[in-house]
Amino acid sequence: MKQEAPESFLEMRGIVKKFPGVIANDHVDLEVEKGEIHGLLGENGAGKSTLMKILYGLYRKDAGDVYLDGSRIELESPQQAIDAGIGMVHQHFMLIPKLTVTENVILGRRETASSFADADEQPKDGEHDSGGILTQSLDTLRGLFTIDHEGPRDRIADLASEYGFGIDPTEKVWQLEVGEQQRVEILKALYRDVDLLILDEPTAVLTPNEASRLFETLEKLADNGLSIIFITHKLYEAKQITDRVTILRDGEHIGTVETETVTEADLAEMMVGHEVLFDIEKSETEVGEPRLAAENLHALDERNLPAVEGIDLEINEGEIVGIAGVSGNGQKELAECLVGVRETTEGTIRVNGTDLTNAHPRRFIEAGISFIPEDRLKYGLAPELSIMHNGPVKEYRSERFQSGPFLDWEEMANYSEEIVEEYDVRGIDDVRKMEAGDLSGGNMQKLIVGREIYRRPDILVANQPTRGVDVGAIESIRRQLLEQRDSGMGILLVSEDLDEIFDLSDRILVVYEGAVVHETTPEAADRREIGLKMTGGSMEGESAMATDGGRSSLLDHSNRQSREDGSESGGDLT
Amino acid sequence: MNIDVDLTARKEVPRWLAYSSSVLTVLAALAVSSLALITLGVDPIAGYTTMFITPWTSQFGISNVLEKTVPLLLAGLAVYLPLRAGLWNIGATGQIYIGAIVGTWIGINIALPSVALIPLMLLGAAVGGALWGFIPGYLRAKWDVNEIIVSLLIAYAAIRINGYMVRGPMQGGAGNFPVSAVLPDPAQLPTIPILDAHLGVLVALLAAIVVYVFVQMTNVGYEITYTGSNPDAARQAGMNSFFIYIMVFVVGGALGGMAGLIEIAGIQDRLRPDFSPGYGFTAIVIALLGRDSAAKVVVAALFFGLLFVGGNSLEINYDVPAALVDVIQALIILFLITAEFVKNFEVDVTLEWGETEPVSPATAEEGV
Amino acid sequence: MVSFTAGMIDATISAGTIFIIAALGEIIAERAGILNLGMEGMMLVGALAGYATTVITGDPWIGLIVAIIGGIAMSAIHAFLCISLKSDQVISGVMLTLLGTGLTTYFGVEWTQYSIDGIQKTTIPVIGQYLLEIPLLGPALFRNPPTDYIAFLLVPTVWYLLFRTNLGLELMSVGEDPETADTMGVSVFRLRYLAVLIGGALAGLAGGHLSLAYSQIWTAGLTAGRGWIVVALVIFARWRPLYAVAGAYLFGMLEALQIRIQSLTLTIEGAPEIVNTIISFFTHPEIMSTYPYFITVAILAITVARSERGASAVPSALLKSYSREMD
Repeated sequence: MKQEAPESFLEMRGIVKKFPGVIANDHVDLEVEKGEIHGLLGENGAGKSTLMKILYGLYRKDAGDVYLDGSRIELESPQQAIDAGIGMVHQHFMLIPKLTVTENVILGRRETASSFADADEQPKDGEHDSGGILTQSLDTLRGLFTIDHEGPRDRIADLASEYGFGIDPTEKVWQLEVGEQQRVEILKALYRDVDLLILDEPTAVLTPNEASRLFETLEKLADNGLSIIFITHKLYEAKQITDRVTILRDGEHIGTVETETVTEADLAEMMVGHEVLFDIEKSETEVGEPRLAAENLHALDERNLPAVEGIDLEINEGEIVGIAGVSGNGQKELAECLVGVRETTEGTIRVNGTDLTNAHPRRFIEAGISFIPEDRLKYGLAPELSIMHNGPVKEYRSERFQSGPFLDWEEMANYSEEIVEEYDVRGIDDVRKMEAGDLSGGNMQKLIVGREIYRRPDILVANQPTRGVDVGAIESIRRQLLEQRDSGMGILLVSEDLDEIFDLSDRILVVYEGAVVHETTPEAADRREIGLKMTGGSMEGESAMATDGGRSSLLDHSNRQSREDGSESGGDLT
Repeated sequence: MNIDVDLTARKEVPRWLAYSSSVLTVLAALAVSSLALITLGVDPIAGYTTMFITPWTSQFGISNVLEKTVPLLLAGLAVYLPLRAGLWNIGATGQIYIGAIVGTWIGINIALPSVALIPLMLLGAAVGGALWGFIPGYLRAKWDVNEIIVSLLIAYAAIRINGYMVRGPMQGGAGNFPVSAVLPDPAQLPTIPILDAHLGVLVALLAAIVVYVFVQMTNVGYEITYTGSNPDAARQAGMNSFFIYIMVFVVGGALGGMAGLIEIAGIQDRLRPDFSPGYGFTAIVIALLGRDSAAKVVVAALFFGLLFVGGNSLEINYDVPAALVDVIQALIILFLITAEFVKNFEVDVTLEWGETEPVSPATAEEGV
Repeated sequence: MVSFTAGMIDATISAGTIFIIAALGEIIAERAGILNLGMEGMMLVGALAGYATTVITGDPWIGLIVAIIGGIAMSAIHAFLCISLKSDQVISGVMLTLLGTGLTTYFGVEWTQYSIDGIQKTTIPVIGQYLLEIPLLGPALFRNPPTDYIAFLLVPTVWYLLFRTNLGLELMSVGEDPETADTMGVSVFRLRYLAVLIGGALAGLAGGHLSLAYSQIWTAGLTAGRGWIVVALVIFARWRPLYAVAGAYLFGMLEALQIRIQSLTLTIEGAPEIVNTIISFFTHPEIMSTYPYFITVAILAITVARSERGASAVPSALLKSYSREMD
């Protein structure tokens, strides 16, 4: 272990963090200079978030040291991180929708009216006026039993205008748009005068325009001396905004480079570990009859706000229809309507000629429609039941599984084993005994994908089928989709991964604010145009997306969205 | 000084823990309850012997235990079935009372030979209980109203309705006592010769078998299990949770109703106010202990049948309030919960003095 | 008629006090994300503990304090199980009700034979005498056991604590989104513990009021399901103290009505017998005692059925246990 004094502003040395069954951080080093924008690059599951959560005090490291500004610090809680001057803008926003912007920003600080007597002499977190014990106790009590809204509100307004955020501090957070919410997240850190700001996949939820505005803000902040760590898995972003980049792979530190000296291909290779082939073979097929036809669909989202606003859609035999769009524009709701899981407030859905508008999901299943949901743990499986329980969950009503008046469990097990075999689901000893929730993410997804395809449906609606899945499984799933399309299945592919859309689709529909704004094919499409359409077709400013065919991925936000809606109380209380 | 507790989720539950946790739980509950005995000046060993051993020593004791098990088993199944679907039938007591009222009314007022009368009484009780189960089941299925609160509130109402019945329309017997008329002979459950216990034993056993087969071996049983595990995924798989939720509460209610009727027609012979010695709540513990399968519910019910009989003799012989059984029950749940925790998490306790490094990490498997 | 109304108001307030105090406690706990279904058991423990202490010491105020302690002790178990051990809040709560009911029945047998001089009605100092002069309302509103006044004062206090202090902000944040609160440096554990213990204290206080001021006796099961009504009350009061007050007095009124109606025989002269039979059915004391339960169910069902899921008032993290390193 090195005993030299740390030279950089932030140094993390030899960080180790283990979870049951996996080493998330395996002796990782990181060092960041003052005023630097330092990228942290890696695939899903590489350990980036974990490392930063350790830095922010959310996780406890198993080994290693952290040095900030020359001295070693222990970060055992977010409060300690805040006191040390570290702020974090999380990928899934840490905001409370029912509270106002001001309340969200001041939460935990226990400010009182008197502490705003001199706004300019606002003590930094961690520094307190040394008064007597009595004064301190009184201060604590006052902090607890009063609240000050006005002072903070004004200061927030000032900060906001300084950086060009158009935010009204008195609005409730649930009323803000996603981009605005992220700015509140940033304000939280700025309000606390942090020295180091961590951003975790910040552009995941932003339109290209908003992303470039974010970059401007970050550059301003860095010029003011703020050190920034920018977590991303998008190569072009790393190239664009960072001064240096540290690459992680499978929990290990692969290398740290000066951004200017490397190409995206170099970064990709370090990220993935081998030469990355960016193309997939897709054959020409004949498109057949329309299997599913949706007309003028309207639907509401979890918050009872309009999500789908008049979409017409056809899925034909033997084609893959790709839905492109920034997450949160109604794609999830659209997919759910098409399989009967969500109510349509207007419009019709016909499957093979039969009107199934607002029919129970069961009728859609029986009509030959399969569905890969976005959140596999929440909607795709019963994690505490066995694989045998989860495999035949859409087919158990058919004759194969009946034995007299009873359910034939033997067949249920056989069927599940067949799926496991054919779709290469790994890690299963006995389908009867293993709980579905014990599978790894990639294998869970393979199980679900396999289960949905194995029954040879006419239509498959796939919502983010390769999200959060390791590279090997991704290839396998994509191959499966193409194979099925070749044999005549009609597939609706909703994906955050624009490359995936381009690689797999026969037709591409761009969805923005609940409507289809553009229809094209991969051959005819211009990525730049699609990017603009995804944001409503505005032509102002520069796109943050590279124009030389760089890879782009947009991460999905909707998991967190449904949580932010405050409607996750289940059936138990209301 | 700083006490630092680190929890890590276990990957696997150690074998010994998984098997013995139920037994350990019960033992722990008994150990703590012995304190209650001691405060009343009763020797716990003697007390527990009377509770658990003595009943088995006589034919009378055995048949007593069996007869006590019957309503517990039926009520336990009444809670078990909804629990299987992820719902809580906390107000099974209400179903017990309403079933008893309806069944007893039929027994008193309809003149039929036993062969026809008793099944009719059981049917009536089942219908009454089913109605009382339908209310919370429907409200939950249709509007997501908390079934715990609804079933419980109407359970309290049912107890009052029973109070009304025995003071009003169904009042019978000598004077103005708030009791119903005694059930005429054809209405009382016949005794099974070998066991020397009433017919209810067969009814309960049959019910357990039916429930077992239903849950483990039919399509609907699979749907119930799946819905209970993940209702959202179940819905997407085409399962009809509306139907399932109502059905489990209706069937559960019917079972609860029969439990109430059997208690009257088999043991008490007439309707009284507050006739149920807490069967509805005990049923919850039974269902929790036996939540994996109806077979386990039978075993748990037997245990509590023993506990109830033992509790009664404890009261007779030692002047100990039978409510001790309630205390033991609650403690069993308490230790069950703790056992769940121990099964799922490993606990490391570290003690730190001042600002220095931790002195001696102590690893503990028990509690905090 | 006048004295009937005056008596009604008087009794309504005293009966309502039980619900107010307990409901405020439940609101605090639930707003922090912990459902307390052990309310009934905690109220019973408070009631018996207070009663027994009063018998022993002769001073109902000491009894009241012990009642509060009893409630805290019970809720401490709930807090430990739910927060530290991350147990299922439903099971833990029901278990505590069973425990409380069982313990108080078991140990309470002895105490039913004793009577006490409970908390007496008093008037507000200084101005009380003058307020008594107000016709009709005077004696009804202003000569009450002090616990009624405590309840009055608790309402604005709790309201202020929740909505006008940093403590309240943090408490509510913990119930909405503990993960976010944690990252902001709010101590989720400590606040949840605090909320549950306060809830227990208030449950104990409510129980104490019940046995020491309201009924001034002890029998097994004294609370008769009020604890469950409180849980329902909190839901259809949308977790807001001011609405809870309205609901509490509604139930207080029902209770007062039920008792009083027994002394009246309501008949309509000259009406056909069937009408009078129906009336006597609906006013039969046992039947009337079911009204609070059915009405609660009805209100609950209506409120819940009508609530829009999007603008849900439920504390979003209710029933979810929190662990910082959730994998």
